[in-house]
Amino acid sequence: MNERNDSSLANAKPALWKNPYLGFILFGLLISTLPLFAGWGLMKNSTLNYIGSVLVYTVAALGLNLLLGYAGLISLGTAGFMGLGSYIAAYVTKDMGMSFWAAAAAAVLIPTLIGLLIGLVSLRIEGIYLAIATLCVSEILLKSFEQADSITGGMQGKSVSYPVIFGHTFNRSTTYLLLVVVLTLVMILTHNFVNGHKGRALHAMRGSEVAAQAMGVNLLQYRLIAFSLATAYSALSGVLYVFFVKFSYPSVWNLTLSLLVLAAVVIGGLRSIYGTVVGAFVVWAVPDLILKNIPVLGRINGLPYIFNGILIILVVMFAPQGISGLWQAKFARKKKERENGKEAE
Amino acid sequence: MVNPHLPLAPETTTRTLSEGEALRVERLSISFGGLRAVDDLSFAVRKKEIFGLIGPNGAGKTTVFNCITQFYRPDEGSVFFSVWKNGTEEVVNLVGKPVHSIIGLGLVRTFQNVEVIQELSLLENVLIGAHIDFKATILEQAFKLPRARREERSFQKKAEEALTFLGIADRKNLPAGGQPYGVLKKVELARTLMANPRLIILDEPAAGLNDNETQDLVSIIRQIRDAYDCTILLVEHDMRLVMGVCDRICAISFGKFLACDVPEEIKRNKLVQEAYLGEEEA
Amino acid sequence: MSNELGTILQLFMRSLETGSVYALAALGIIIIYRTSNIVHFAQGSLGMFNTFVVTYVFLSFRLPLWASTLCGVAAAIATGFLVDFLIIRHTKKVSPLAKQIITLGLIMVFLGLAPMLFGVDPLSLPRFLQSGDFSLGIAAISHNAVLNISLGLVLMGILFYVLQKTKMGLAVRTTASNEPVARLMGVPTRRVTLAAWALAGVLGCLSGVMIAPTTTVTTSLMDAVQVNALFGCVLGGFQTFYGPVLGAYIIGVGRNFLVYYVSSIWGEQIMYLLILIFLIFRPNGLIGTKFVKKV
Repeated sequence: MNERNDSSLANAKPALWKNPYLGFILFGLLISTLPLFAGWGLMKNSTLNYIGSVLVYTVAALGLNLLLGYAGLISLGTAGFMGLGSYIAAYVTKDMGMSFWAAAAAAVLIPTLIGLLIGLVSLRIEGIYLAIATLCVSEILLKSFEQADSITGGMQGKSVSYPVIFGHTFNRSTTYLLLVVVLTLVMILTHNFVNGHKGRALHAMRGSEVAAQAMGVNLLQYRLIAFSLATAYSALSGVLYVFFVKFSYPSVWNLTLSLLVLAAVVIGGLRSIYGTVVGAFVVWAVPDLILKNIPVLGRINGLPYIFNGILIILVVMFAPQGISGLWQAKFARKKKERENGKEAE
Repeated sequence: MVNPHLPLAPETTTRTLSEGEALRVERLSISFGGLRAVDDLSFAVRKKEIFGLIGPNGAGKTTVFNCITQFYRPDEGSVFFSVWKNGTEEVVNLVGKPVHSIIGLGLVRTFQNVEVIQELSLLENVLIGAHIDFKATILEQAFKLPRARREERSFQKKAEEALTFLGIADRKNLPAGGQPYGVLKKVELARTLMANPRLIILDEPAAGLNDNETQDLVSIIRQIRDAYDCTILLVEHDMRLVMGVCDRICAISFGKFLACDVPEEIKRNKLVQEAYLGEEEA
Repeated sequence: MSNELGTILQLFMRSLETGSVYALAALGIIIIYRTSNIVHFAQGSLGMFNTFVVTYVFLSFRLPLWASTLCGVAAAIATGFLVDFLIIRHTKKVSPLAKQIITLGLIMVFLGLAPMLFGVDPLSLPRFLQSGDFSLGIAAISHNAVLNISLGLVLMGILFYVLQKTKMGLAVRTTASNEPVARLMGVPTRRVTLAAWALAGVLGCLSGVMIAPTTTVTTSLMDAVQVNALFGCVLGGFQTFYGPVLGAYIIGVGRNFLVYYVSSIWGEQIMYLLILIFLIFRPNGLIGTKFVKKV
């Protein structure tokens, strides 16, 4: 397991960082310092909240990237499963009075099992059916969030307190740190997964279905794995959301959120971990933290949607590998120029 | 997670292979929209032999391979194959088995147009051949628990051996995309070697290779048979390769059996000559 | 007893009206699927946007509803042209998956354009015929419903006639079955695709104008229509033009009966579940034949 061997896999990782984990940990440390800036008054608290929620969405996007990037399948149920995770977590801690861990476990496992069931139904058929089936499931879930008052609080939504873990009651800053830790961990685990043999099998399936089958990869099984992971990541993201935002409304978990998560994956770059993070910031942070502050233009209704919609179309048409692809191409060019320069000397 | 390759479904294993046979194709037929691509074809491959399947363009050679490896489901007929199970030899009928379960029986193939994963390194491409032997779960891999590390290490060693055997170990960490065709063909061969094969099916191994590379291939195929102690079945257009490397050859035309014999006899066979002459005239 | 029959008949009539809306939208989706090989997730969003145009023209310029609708149809043709001209035409080499993502991007574009141009307040659009009922003895049906049903049937009748009997229809069908071959045979596939996008836009706009009076005109106007129309396609199968239309009517009927007899809250959801279960048994839809995968 040397670093050269890894370099062809983790497309996202600039070759500068020899150890793959170093990059993830540095990234985690970097974003965990942001509350300090807020503390010094250099950053608005609302901005910090906003960045926190982008980190939450990134978790869901990393999951969808496994599905879209490796299995070539679209799920439109991301928001629905996030919502389901958030409500289960809220219900288990608040109404059942159980621990954070029990809540997190239930909130990830139940949606994953539901996802597995839907996958079994829709993945036996080629291509488009998963997108349509998940669209339908997200409609069913959304309706359930609105109607199941006793569990979800209906239209009024459901509130929870900051989590209590190992007897320690969290506050906003520490919950933010929790998000950072979980996201960093998820990035590392995802990296390990895609570079392990199951990740390779997914890679093979994407690169050549026939070769994958001949090498013993059960396509249905691996599509199911990708979809279940995407569902589990979404549910985890929902858990983080509800403990950070302390509230879950039905209207949050609509199709638009699923589309934005998809946009983050496509814009950031398929199969790229860092790309997904960057994609999430482009999709959520750029419209709300930057575009909104531009005079006149910033006041146009619906601008974030137009921005992301046009961006996603442009990326698909002109830069199919997204931001990570552009970054790598630039990197490769620089390297070539350097080598050419050496030869010239 | 269901383990897709073992154990085998209970099978009525009557004696359907004769002594010393590795594979028997029995009265195989498949049609595509009225066209009989393979028509009542039977032949048998003996253990440890290098067996060639030849025929003019469109004779249905690759279709036969696809029927053996279950990429296509034949309309009629059986494919009997000898497998090792709990230390004893057993005969199974491959027809009807899921495609991905075939490799688990010890039958592995290459493709006419090399099917390697461009983004992965050569070593990683070869490692895919060991897919069914990895036992670590998703969580073990994600957390890099000891078993996952151990497996990865030991299969990497095996993959490096296979690459060394084929003489391309120095490129192991380069991405497959951009490698010359000859190298990619070897990567596919190395990948088949990872699966401890009893029978390797090569679909036009010399296609796209130059003369030197083809000569090289002849010795490689023999070496694989001897070093890995397996049977080899190949489809090939390049007659020099087929005649040079095969112990026995089966010739077919329009999906029908013509002859099955040693190379010298096949060369002299009238039916075979006519079939090939017909092609040249056309 | 006759009361019960009356209810059933009444429900059936209403279902035909709902079904017409879904069927028009489904027809738009299938025309795009067959000519551009794209599952058109933005059919509803385009329809929503053009319904906003109709409503805006109707409310701001005080044009009669039919004239406003014509403006909407013109806008639908224009947006359809633009989508094909600016985007779809340039995606020949893009994978079907990526094309699908493009339509998801289109949803967002129109989701943003509508409030940008027409504001964020919900608007309302009246029915074509404000009042009047036909009595069918035991049941009654509004004039407007009859108009909607007939409009749907007539439109679809014309379209199917054109598809099956005219040279233009032949061009569409050839493009649908094999685009590259059709192009080689001299079929103007570019024009066919352009027309398909315009037509889908018009069908979306009309289904929007039909559904608008039952609710308010907001960005989520067509969400349910989009989902039901897609399910119509799934139910009817993606391989024929009439399958999805049939599927959409079945969904219209099934939905209304489930809502009335089983649960007013969960009726639609139960419908979705039933379709998911149906998919297990007939994955290629009612009329679909099995895809044969080439190796």
